[in-house]
Amino acid sequence: MKQEAIHDYLYHYFKASGCTILENRPGFLKIKLTIELDKLLMNRPFYWHYVEKLDQRGETQTLALKTNSEEDEGEFIHFGSPRLHQIFQSSKTLSPSIRLYEALNPEVSQAPLYPWLGLNTKISYCSDWKRDYTLSLGINLVNGTIVKSFQKSMMILSLTPKIPDFCYTLSPMIKPINGLYRLEKIIEELIQNDKHDWANIAMKRWEADLQLLTQFYEDYEGEEKITALFEQEKQALEDQYKPYVDVTIINGGLFYLGPDAIVLH
Amino acid sequence: MFQQPQIRFDRSWYDSFTRRIEQDGPWADWQLFQLAYTSEQHLTVPEFQGLVTPQHLPDLNLLPHQQETAERVIEQMHGKAILADEVGLGKTIEAGLIMKEYMIRGLAKKILILVPASLVLQWAKELNEKFYIPAVPQRKAYMWDQCDIVISSIDTAKRQNHTDAILQQNYDLVIIDEAHKLKNHQTKNYQFVKKIKKKFCLLLTATPVQNRLSELYYLVTLLKPGYLGDADSFFRDYCSGKNKVKNEEKLRELINRIMIRNRRSDTEIDWPKRHIESFDIPLTPEERKVYDSLSTLKNTDVALSLITLQREACSSREALYMTIKKMLASAHSPSTQKILQAISDTIQEVTTNSKAKKVLELTQTIDDKVIIFTEYRATQLYLQWFLQQHGISSVPFRGGFKRNKKDWMRTLFQSNAQVLIATEAGGEGINLQFCHHVINYDLPWNPMRIEQRIGRIHRLGQEHDVHIYNFATKNTIEEHILHLLYEKIDLFETVIGKLDDILTRLELKNIDQEIADIFETSDSEGELRIKIDNLTSILNAEHMEQKGENAQNETGSHT
Repeated sequence: MKQEAIHDYLYHYFKASGCTILENRPGFLKIKLTIELDKLLMNRPFYWHYVEKLDQRGETQTLALKTNSEEDEGEFIHFGSPRLHQIFQSSKTLSPSIRLYEALNPEVSQAPLYPWLGLNTKISYCSDWKRDYTLSLGINLVNGTIVKSFQKSMMILSLTPKIPDFCYTLSPMIKPINGLYRLEKIIEELIQNDKHDWANIAMKRWEADLQLLTQFYEDYEGEEKITALFEQEKQALEDQYKPYVDVTIINGGLFYLGPDAIVLH
Repeated sequence: MFQQPQIRFDRSWYDSFTRRIEQDGPWADWQLFQLAYTSEQHLTVPEFQGLVTPQHLPDLNLLPHQQETAERVIEQMHGKAILADEVGLGKTIEAGLIMKEYMIRGLAKKILILVPASLVLQWAKELNEKFYIPAVPQRKAYMWDQCDIVISSIDTAKRQNHTDAILQQNYDLVIIDEAHKLKNHQTKNYQFVKKIKKKFCLLLTATPVQNRLSELYYLVTLLKPGYLGDADSFFRDYCSGKNKVKNEEKLRELINRIMIRNRRSDTEIDWPKRHIESFDIPLTPEERKVYDSLSTLKNTDVALSLITLQREACSSREALYMTIKKMLASAHSPSTQKILQAISDTIQEVTTNSKAKKVLELTQTIDDKVIIFTEYRATQLYLQWFLQQHGISSVPFRGGFKRNKKDWMRTLFQSNAQVLIATEAGGEGINLQFCHHVINYDLPWNPMRIEQRIGRIHRLGQEHDVHIYNFATKNTIEEHILHLLYEKIDLFETVIGKLDDILTRLELKNIDQEIADIFETSDSEGELRIKIDNLTSILNAEHMEQKGENAQNETGSHT
């Protein structure tokens, strides 16, 4: 992530969270935090506990951040800095679920909005090695159509948190939770159709090491203390090598979209 | 038959989502929602191979061998390795790099780092400052449980109340510094480390095989039980006779798959040169008289060996006097007392210290920071006083100092004093790259210790050539050590790797003991010379052989 991209990210993050931007120029950003963000980022639970107990209005802190290391003032933020990762983390905490409507502008008649369930996931292939990728899917809760790159499609639409005038929403035929299960199935299929050489290799490594270990402990069979150690070592090998796929959810939500919002290929 | 890898869905999000639908919110801001997704895209690691850490730590100047080491440990050794670089090549950096890579990829969270007590804070500092790894020194019992990354000394960790807590944890990664201390499988430390539950494990040591095959075996077995087979078959396959290796090629190949040893000579770092100068310093008649008087103790009942006293006499009258005084206090027979008293009187007559005078002269001409190494506390104090008399400020340094004090002394030396006077133990665990001059005021028996001394300044980060001055008093035991032993094996010129290899291959378990024996059991100067010559020729032959091998390997690789 380039320094400019980090600056942009920070600016949008603080602005979207309702903080007052005191100063914003290339390489430097100064923000007066909201109470919510102060609690999330500044790590002073005792202060807030105290203030709230006394029923007072707390004073939030001002944060100076620089993405250009040569600026005098401020905490230097780069891709590896803990502060940035804290902010990344908090952006997830602050936006787990969403509900949005496409800002259609029907002039005469009532326009229908179709309910979609959008899900952003991160998929990780893990053994003693690991790689991951993100996968964004959407399902039309009326007819069950499923599309990929859903998030990307949403980003080019004009969306609003309030239902626009002259629009009405269609009721879902599929309950959101069932939508989730359908998406799970699709994700499973996508994963299963992928190549898994990595898992194959990991299994081989595991087997080889397990064999060495078993031979090593063979002679001691039956000795209780040794058996416990053997079991522990076996478990350690499993932890080290056993291949599995982790699917975690970044965020998701309901999107009410006009009939032309999603172009099906 | 290969099965599909298991898929684990994290469904914890489902509930909060359906609850929000029922309660009509709260719903997130669209911009933040997008930012959360963007950040996660940035945090994904798309490839199994390679390191992503360098992207996260642009300020960390990694050397090629450090990066390669981390890659090899992760990709080829699967997170279980012995890191055995020569002193000063940055093992801590390599360990930090591996740790960080696993953390970024989400493969390690719970981490235990066991280091010598004196290095706990230094590790914490390096990991926090260089790697942004929030590692904390263990202070409270609850920390084993509550903190993800804990640094502790092994002595603390193995106390009963801590042990129980540690053995309950499931560590993703355990790092052990100075792991050669675990070479004996019968010790409590070894048994303790063996019982810690660990997925990945790094053992750090600069002296991986302090000469015995069995030590190597048990160190590897700690890391990967069964890798070298069970003890019986291992010794049957690789051991012939007393400490002799057979099937060496095969063993080396096995070891290379689990241990990485970078040598200075292999790195493409342009190491600063070493300039060596030796001084033979004549004793004054009074000093000579003291030195010679020690031989009167030869056939008495004193417990200390003559050599010990002679070496002290070569250092300073203060060093010798302290010992003689103690011996006097505990001597039983009147005849011994009489001899000791006579020696003590002779000591009193000494008014100058020839070596100290040389130190003064040299320090004045160098006109730059100097580190003086001596083996004796008394000499250290004396030198400090002596230099003070001539307007030269110095700071003392001892291995026994607490970490804080060590750091403080280092700072004092850097900013306020020309000279740092260190006793032997002071040689470890501190970096003094800003200094380029070392005086070996007296010489230790063990050549490895010389290298450790020089290693304090001749290490990564040193930008200047390094000057080493060796002192030896003429016609004394010191002269023998210097000329007969050290200079013959090119000690000061060679870098450590060769030497410790040689010592290892020859199974010279205790070179200090070996040398001391030669000195003690030789009745005449002639005999001494022959024995020392023998020793050095063995060392050199081994050295030549290695050189030959290397040359062969090199030509081999070109064809």
